[in-house]
Formats: sequence, C-alpha cells, structure tokens
Amino acid sequence: MRQSRSQRALGRLLPTLVLIASAIFFAFPLLAMARFAFQNLQVIDLGWNNLFEKWSFSSVTASFSDDFFAEALTLSLKLAVGTALFTLGLLVPTAVWVHLRLPKARVFVEFLTILPYVIPAIALVAGIVVVKPHARWFLNSDYSLIPFYVVLALPFTYRSIDTGLRAIDLKVLVEASRSLGSTWIATLFRVVIPNLRAAIISSTFLTVAVVLGEYTISDVLLKRTFPSFMAQYRQSDPRGGYALAILALLGTTLLFVAIGILSKSRSTRPQQVSRSQENEILV
Amino acid sequence: MAIVNIPPLGEEGAVAQATAPSHFWRTPIDNIRNKKSLAWFGLVPFFLFLILFLLIPAISVFAQALHDEDGSFGFSAMREAISGQNLDAFIFSLKFSAGAAFVGVVFGGFLAYAAATAKRPRWLRNIVSSFSGVAANMGGLPLAFAFLSLLGRQGLGTKILNAFGWDLYAGDFKLGEVSGLITVYSYFNIPLMVLVTLPAIDGLKTSWREACANLGGSAWTYWRRVGLPILAPSLLGGFLLLFANSFSAYATARQLTDNSKIVPLRISFFLGGDISIGEDAVGYSLAAWMIILMGISMAAYWLLRRRAERWSNS
Amino acid sequence: MTSLSFTGIRKTFGTTVALESLDLALQPGELVSLLGPSGCGKTTALRIAAGFEIPDTGVVSLGESVITDTPAHRRNMGMVFQSYSLFPNLTVAQNVDFGLRNRKVEKAKRNSRVGEMLELVQLGELGKRYPHQLSGGQQQRVALARALAVQPEVLLLDEPLSALDAKVRSTLRDEIRRIQSELKTTTLFVTHDQDEALAISDRIGVMSNGRLEQLGTPEDVYLRPASPFVARFVGSINELPNSNGVGKILVRPEDITISEDENELTMRGTVTRVTFQGPVTIISVRVDMNDQLVNVHAASGSIHAQVGDRVSLDVTPGRGIIEAA
Repeated sequence: MRQSRSQRALGRLLPTLVLIASAIFFAFPLLAMARFAFQNLQVIDLGWNNLFEKWSFSSVTASFSDDFFAEALTLSLKLAVGTALFTLGLLVPTAVWVHLRLPKARVFVEFLTILPYVIPAIALVAGIVVVKPHARWFLNSDYSLIPFYVVLALPFTYRSIDTGLRAIDLKVLVEASRSLGSTWIATLFRVVIPNLRAAIISSTFLTVAVVLGEYTISDVLLKRTFPSFMAQYRQSDPRGGYALAILALLGTTLLFVAIGILSKSRSTRPQQVSRSQENEILV
Repeated sequence: MAIVNIPPLGEEGAVAQATAPSHFWRTPIDNIRNKKSLAWFGLVPFFLFLILFLLIPAISVFAQALHDEDGSFGFSAMREAISGQNLDAFIFSLKFSAGAAFVGVVFGGFLAYAAATAKRPRWLRNIVSSFSGVAANMGGLPLAFAFLSLLGRQGLGTKILNAFGWDLYAGDFKLGEVSGLITVYSYFNIPLMVLVTLPAIDGLKTSWREACANLGGSAWTYWRRVGLPILAPSLLGGFLLLFANSFSAYATARQLTDNSKIVPLRISFFLGGDISIGEDAVGYSLAAWMIILMGISMAAYWLLRRRAERWSNS
Repeated sequence: MTSLSFTGIRKTFGTTVALESLDLALQPGELVSLLGPSGCGKTTALRIAAGFEIPDTGVVSLGESVITDTPAHRRNMGMVFQSYSLFPNLTVAQNVDFGLRNRKVEKAKRNSRVGEMLELVQLGELGKRYPHQLSGGQQQRVALARALAVQPEVLLLDEPLSALDAKVRSTLRDEIRRIQSELKTTTLFVTHDQDEALAISDRIGVMSNGRLEQLGTPEDVYLRPASPFVARFVGSINELPNSNGVGKILVRPEDITISEDENELTMRGTVTRVTFQGPVTIISVRVDMNDQLVNVHAASGSIHAQVGDRVSLDVTPGRGIIEAA
C-alpha cells in the first residue's frame, strides 16, 4: 500500500517496540528464576556484579536424590502416557464419527469440549471430593486421575484432532478405502490415523504438558505427582524447587517446539495414503 | 510402473446401477445404518465419559451446595456464599480477573497484530506462536516461582527497580494483591490472547483493506468501519476466555499467597480444612456460584466465537 | 471518460522481474483485457494502476495527470477483486454505499445512487442481505455495483469471473460488458481465460513473462498472432514442420486445407480419426514426414474423409506464423 516513507517507518516502529517489550517481559522472570535456582549465592546478595559467579546445577542434582523425586516423576510420567492414550482412544473415533456420520452434531460436540472451562479444575475437584466416599475403590488409586486429566485437556486435544480432520478430505479417503475392500477397522488404522499423525502427536504433547503441570487436582486429592513434589520440595529447599520448575519448563518447551515443527510438515501428508493406494492399482 | 486405463465400474455396471430400482441395492443393515437418529449412538462413549467425569462432579457440587445447616435442602449456604467475606472474595476475584483480562486483551491484541503483520524476519511469527503455546499452558508452579524470583521482596526485578529509585513495595504492591496477580497472570493471559487472536487477524483478508483504499478510505476508515468490527467478536470472546481463565486459576495463586482472598483459594480452604458438616456446604456453594459465573461467561464466549466463524466462512 | 496509460513501467520482486518495460495506453471508454498465464505480469500491472504496487521506474497517467505517486485511496478508480472483497460485516447496500460515504456525499443522494446501482446489476431486492447470504455470482455483482457507485474514471477488474461456475461466468461476463459499454467507463480487465478476453474486449494485450507480446483487437490477436506465444496461447494451434526443414509453422486448424491431390509441395498424411462436431468436423491426420498428429477443422459436409484415407495438407496462404528453431 502506498504510504509516505515516514508513515511506513512509524508503522514499523510501533510493532517492533511491542515485540521488544514483550520479549523483555517474558524473558526476565525466567532469567531471574534461573539465577535463583542455579547460582550458589545467597538470594539477598544477587546483583549485577556477581552475574556470572558460582553457577552450578547442584540444586537440581540434589533434588534427584530426594526420596520422593523418582516416585513423583514416575507417577506423573505414567499419568501423562495414560492420559494421552485415553484421550486418543476416546477422541479420535468420536471426532471421526462426527465428521463422517453426524456433521450436524459438530457444533454441539465442539460446545461440549469447552465445558471444562465452565467447570474448572478447582470446581471439578470439589465435585470429586463429594463423590469420593461413594467411589473410594476407584478414587483411591493414583491412576484415577487419568480420566479427570483427560477432561482438563479436552478443549485443546479435541481442537487439535478436529483441525487435523478438517485438513484432510476424510469422507473421500474413507469411501475410497471402503470401495477398495477395507473394513472399518482397517480403514481407521491404515488410512485415517496415518493421515492424522501430526494432529495426534500434537495433542499427545499437549496432554503431556497439561499433566506435568497440573497441580490443583493432585494437591486437593493429596496425590504425589511431580508438581506436588515440586511445591513440597520448595518448602525445604527453595533453590531446588526453582530448579525443578525450570526443568519442567524446558521439557514443556521442547514439546511445544516439536509440535511447531510437526505442524509445518503437515501440509505434505494428506496426499500420501491415497497415492499409495493408487499405486497399488497401477503397478 | 505401467499405467493402465481402468475402465469405470464397467459400462454395464454403471448402467445397471442407474436403472435398477433403488430398493434393489439396499440390504437390511443399510436400512438401520442410514437412520439419522441411530448415528447418535456413535457418540455414546463420549457422552458417557463426560457424564461420569464432568457432569457428575458438577452436579455433586450443586447437590452439596443446596444444603442448609441442619442438612436439609435449602438455599442458605448459597446465600452465605455470596455474603460477608465470601462476597468480598467474589468482588476481589471479579475485579482482578477483569483487570487481568483487560490487560491481556490489549497487550495480547497488539502483540498478535505485530506478529501477524511482521514480514521480516520470517521466523518471528512462528516463535511468537510457539512460545504462546508454551506460556498459555504454563500455569501453576513454574510461573509463580518465576515471578517470586523477579518481583518478590528479594526479587531481582525489585532490586533493579530499587536502583532506579522505585520502591516496588512502598505502596500496595504485593504479588498476592490485585496489581501483583494481574502482572503474574498476564504471563499466560497475553499468550492465550495471542493464540486466540492470530487466526482472527489472519482472517482479515487483504482484499478488504485494498477494497477500502480503492473506495477512498484511509487506514483509520478501514479499522473503524471494517477491521475492528470484524475483529470485535474475537476480541470480546478473548476477553471472556481470559476472564474465565483468570478467575478460576488456582495453582499459581496458591504459591503466591496463602490468604483466601480469591474464590478458588477460598474453595480449597473449605475443602481441605477441619470443617463441620453444614459449613462445608458454603464451600460447595462457592464452587457452585463459580460454575454459574463461568457458565455465563463461556456461553457468551461461545456465541461470539460462532459469530466470528460465520464471517470467516463467507 | 478518461484515458489510462503505462509508460516504461518496470517492476521487480526481489530477483523476479514481474514487468520488464510496459507501454500500454487505454483510450477513453474502451475495455482492454490483459490476457496471459499466471506469472505473466498482468495482475502486477493492474495493481500498479490501482496503486497497490509501486513501480520501480515508469509513469502511470490518468488522462493528463501523472498518478504514479498518488496513494491508492486518492485515485478515483473502481476495482473488482477475484473474490472475497465485500465487507462481511456490512449489508449489500452498506457495501455499495461505502465509497460514497468516504466522499462525504449527502445521505439522500447516496441512497438513490445505491438503489440505482443495485438495479443496474439486477439485485434491487437484496440490499439488506449480508455477503455470506449471497451466491458467488451475486457477490461479484455487488462488488461491481460498489466499484461503479462512485463513478470512477477507470474500472479495474482482477479476474472477477475465475472463481465462479461456468454458467454464471458467461452470464456475468456479458453483463459486465453491457454495463461497461453503457457507462462508457475506461476498463482494464485481467484474465487468463481467452474466451472471456475474446468475447468482451475492444482490444487484448497478450502478456508473457512480464512482456506485452501483442496488443490488438480480438480478430488481430486470433487471426494474425504476432508471436509464437500468442499463437499458442490464444485458440488452438498445430505445429507443423517448416517446409525447408528449419523450425516450425504454427497454423490454426481452420487454416489448413485438406484434399486428395498430390504434388511434392504439399504434406501427405493418413486420416486417423474424423470427429463430427456440428458445424465443424475435426479431421485428425497423421503426417508422413514426422508421424505428427495434425487436427484440421473443416466445415461439415465440405469434405468426405474417412479413416485411412490418404490426403494432402496445405496452409491457407497468408495464415500461420513461422517459429524459428
């Protein structure tokens, strides 16, 4: 668009300032936490002059030897995997069904997936506490957290799978597969799922991030997950607690970077299966 | 790979299909399968899941909330949940949630616009988008710890500001108070707003901007008559989403303050402590009111989102 | 009615040259089409006229005044985009009204003008509808009404029919021509569809790789293509080996005569297929010289050829264009 040179320069200045200010706002807390966690100095003494002194990972490694570290981390990881599998097993068939058989229900189902915002974690756990006496056999197990974690992650995971389904021409692929003689199960596993790979991985990583960061429910229900361990550990060793938090953050960030990379390669996927089925005819 | 001309369905087959009476091709199972109402059965697992793990807890909250002190059905607990200190907590929560949402919308909106329109460098938008994904889901402990490190009494940021002559703690500021919570919550509110707004800004087609200029409109005209009206549902929806998110956040607040000035903390206080039966109904009432409030916000959010989608599909 | 001219317009995007040096002058009131494949520069030229791109060098003039540096919103031109240009939050009437409001026309005049324009594009009843409630063809009519409402000096159309169904396309195409000649608005029409260009233009500018290959009337461009590119791009073409063995002759199917006579100057071949298409019959001949397949159009009934016949092919004198090797 034709603008005077000064107008254009101003137009670029404002967004640049916004971006720089944002970068500062988002980086500083993390940098501060890093110093608290990894510099072996008294917090009161931290200043400009000792910016590069006494960096060490001892705070983190010390936490590894804590009795409950391994237990908590293992539990959280198991819960993460369990939640991811449960989510996929529940949502992929449901989303496929809605897309194929019940397009009119799509809006309704989407609405259902934002219900977790209406009943947030703290309210959900209040309800669990009510039900607890009647379902002690279930809720006593640590793994009972899994379905509730699925609920918490629902808005993100359903959105991810739904977007993935919208990007491929599901109806055509399924009809092509069926007309070539595949059963429904075979179609699901040989056609649909491979084409949803990016969305599935995306929602899995999202789930893992949610589970590894979930504190509310496990705190109230007194389950010893990794975030609970982090909070508790911080009471006795603040520096160690902060170090663990940074570790958790790094892990989550890596997951999201992976999601970002995967969603870029998404555009090359949709044609693949139909082409390979085509090849089977043409050879 | 030899390319073979596959004859379509066989000329005879196609003709046969076209001329045979339609009931010739239907089998009994197809009759059942094609009934629209039966298609809803496929959603049973999903509905069952939601009922068991979302609806039943929610209903239980209301069931417990509607108890009077003597244990019978009544609204006294619900009334008490919005009076006295509880009312203060609601007002406090409302105030700071609205404030946090507003800050998030303004800064998140600008950040989204800056990222969406930045042409160079080309990785900028991806970074903003990926980081927003991380930060929006970053609640709880890491966030609280980070801000304690930065703006706590011994925080590095506090020290930097001191060096400039600004004593952060001279006034009302405390991380557990309105200003503190707004600052901390902005850390996930702004990215959440970016995530919600980026697609909306992408949806602003360049042809609209050009058509407006072609018809004699300046940049201001465009934003006033086309751009902002089209973005408005997304912006308002974003506000509601951020509001709901801020109101119901628990983990972060728990680390920042141990008072029970905000509703989620108050609820956990009632849930975890030594409360006599009857008094805990107030705790559940707090949760019940919160669900009602969130329900209204999300219903409005949903309507706005549908409106915005309608325009992007035109 | 105003003239529009491009003089020495050059535009590059990074290392790609979109326009080499465009010289084009539109006479007042005429409709000129820019025709060519994607990437040929036609859309760039249009956008430079509209003010959405700034040329590296060259001058754009509207009538007597130079407008190369005038911002887009001050050029008083109307533009119809390929799709999705209606403001979705405004009604049809408000869309058409948009330019008038910007020019601060008073309300009564605006309303009557809007009504007038909607009648012109035959959508008088739909003023209160929203764009998403209209079909593609209807949306483009509204876009046209909106562009013309402000009485622009030049009308710019960027492939307005490409996104529409075939049936709608031909109806709307004729409508655009009818309205344009009624209002006598100088018009620049960009398209990649030669049928469109041939049907509605006063003159056609065929473009390729940033260059104007030929500027002429539809008959000129079709019957007397100035370059091999134009010959191939417009209409169908046969590529015959040149009689001296060097290069090719590009000939239209209807410019080849077919007969049973034989002499050493004509090309011999065998008929492989005869396809009756109503007024014209297509006779496909496999030429002896290089086994190539040539399609000849003959008026039905004038030739009685059968598959397997031996025939002679000759180029009608004065037709065809030679392409050096």
